[in-house]
Amino acid sequence: MDIFANLWLGASTAFMPMNLFYGFIGCLLGTAIGVLPGLGPTATIAMLLPITFGLPPESALIMLAGIFYGAQYGGSTTAVLINLPGESSSVVTAIDGYQMARNGRAGAALATAALGSFFAGSVATILLAVAAPPLAAVALNFGPAEYFSLMVLGLVASVALASGSLLKAFAMIVFGLILGTIGTDVESGTPRYVFDIPELYDGLNFVAVSMGIFGICEILRNLESEHERSVGVKRVTGLMLTKEDFKRIIAPVLRGTALGSFLGVLPGGGAMLASFAAYAVEKRVSPNRAEFGKGAIEGVAAPESANNAGAQTSFIPMLTLGIPGNPVMALMVGAMIIQGITPGPNVISDEPELFWGMIVSMWSGNLMLVILNLPLIGLWVRMLTVPYHLLFPAIIGFCCIGAYSINNSVFDVFVMAGFSVIGFALSKMRFEPAPLLLGFILGPMLEENLRRAMLISQGDPSIFVRSPLSLSLLIFAVVVLALVLSPSISRKREEAFTE
Amino acid sequence: MLKIRNGRDFVGGVTMICVGLLFIWFGRELEVGNSFQMGPGYFPTMLSLLLMAIGALIIVQSLMVHAEEGEPEAWNWKAYFLVILGPVGFGLLLSGLGLAPTMLLLIVGVATASRYANWRHSILLGVFLSVCSVLLFTKLLSLPVSAFGPWVPLIGELL
Repeated sequence: MDIFANLWLGASTAFMPMNLFYGFIGCLLGTAIGVLPGLGPTATIAMLLPITFGLPPESALIMLAGIFYGAQYGGSTTAVLINLPGESSSVVTAIDGYQMARNGRAGAALATAALGSFFAGSVATILLAVAAPPLAAVALNFGPAEYFSLMVLGLVASVALASGSLLKAFAMIVFGLILGTIGTDVESGTPRYVFDIPELYDGLNFVAVSMGIFGICEILRNLESEHERSVGVKRVTGLMLTKEDFKRIIAPVLRGTALGSFLGVLPGGGAMLASFAAYAVEKRVSPNRAEFGKGAIEGVAAPESANNAGAQTSFIPMLTLGIPGNPVMALMVGAMIIQGITPGPNVISDEPELFWGMIVSMWSGNLMLVILNLPLIGLWVRMLTVPYHLLFPAIIGFCCIGAYSINNSVFDVFVMAGFSVIGFALSKMRFEPAPLLLGFILGPMLEENLRRAMLISQGDPSIFVRSPLSLSLLIFAVVVLALVLSPSISRKREEAFTE
Repeated sequence: MLKIRNGRDFVGGVTMICVGLLFIWFGRELEVGNSFQMGPGYFPTMLSLLLMAIGALIIVQSLMVHAEEGEPEAWNWKAYFLVILGPVGFGLLLSGLGLAPTMLLLIVGVATASRYANWRHSILLGVFLSVCSVLLFTKLLSLPVSAFGPWVPLIGELL
């Protein structure tokens, strides 16, 4: 079988001592960041991205992926121990996880989260290995029209899955797309919106933009309602699960994995949506549903499996089509571009070591996380006691150096500062920053494909509906939009986000 | 009678229209072309128009739908000012002062944005992070920035 040869190739890349080391560092940093409240994975990856510039592409991406799923793990630790989700995807874990901790079963809750995540991560990795090559093969036949439609679908779907007002999310996407046009126009070489600033000829740097609208902006919001956290964490004991526990978590883990793997592929809030959905499903079907909210182990197992599966499968559209489904994947695309790799269906055939190495490293990374997390839990608990007034200056410091090191120029530091103001103003008006970044990243690709498609068709827009593939993608986008706009679904959507 | 029922959204819609106008204004010299041969101005102009249309819809919505009751906004102008000015100051001082003193100033400066900050902690943290960042970034990753810049000649020459 081909797949085994490929996985073998991947293993030989992923298990190189250097890559294992960077994977380990990534997991460690990711967990640490996930544990620290008030610093999301997007901001972290943006902040740490410059450190990976000097690494070979495989190591850089393996490390970044490690940060991403490490953060998922770390987020659940705080959710269980102090009822403070480190990440949006572990919000629901806090409900039953914290209750378990209060009943003296913190160890069991953490073990469930770790094992559930590991299982889900392994399954989703296999899924990724099986599904990615055929998808990429389909995508190889894509012309500009198909790409354009696919990106439209991606943008529409990301709006549909975002929380808050649809109209505002659309506004953010369009705003992001416009920001993406700043810089030299690729086709004609004409500078656009550069105001004779030489640094702007290459466009705004997405790392600086995302550090501004995610990193610094988060700090501004946290400082508004700053209050000292009193962290009373007891020692965590009893990491072993009983036989009874195992019996109870098998079905929820399986359901969570299935749901998460599916939802993760969709653009938008992949992992977060997956954990919410898994919890909701479990609450309906579990035989122990009366215990939910009072410390049901199922309420930890299902969402934790789902968010990890979702985090893993959200790599599928990014790796096969070059289209990021969420801001973290957008940063990964950016990291690939910086490393000189063009994201898209060619990655599998042109860079097999990178592609398969990354897939295998996801599995080994998950294993590392289980080994790392359970014994090191004491260390993570101690990290929780770092007060925010010492944490945020450090974050700002790292963001500044990080922004500077992108091009060794202070211009990017100013861009970051500027976008923290823009991001903050937008958040005050209740505009979400995530669609903006997505639009910003996809903007140049969208424009290029639109222009090429129109050139091919000699200005006839029907090219987008004449190709069956492009037509079906657009129809799918319309269906998604119609579904979201229909009253019954939008009500459910509100429920899901307010729950 | 039209009445603004959701002030926040109304401002948001107006902002989007302004953004659209701004990009159209600054892109007015860009050649738009036609749909067959799109000029560099085509895509941004179309998007700006689209953004203005969405902004208008947001305004219409803000006139019809009441704002949901939310928590009252807390404003912390001192924090905004310090946190945003910090990176700007960092950018301005970096080449002159060098990484170590700039970092120290940045940390101590932004730390005062917190109401729980105290000088001893901030300075210790600043010194610690300056040393770390010099070791990591100038020594290990060899960024082209020196630990001490030309504005601090004495220490710069000592090192």
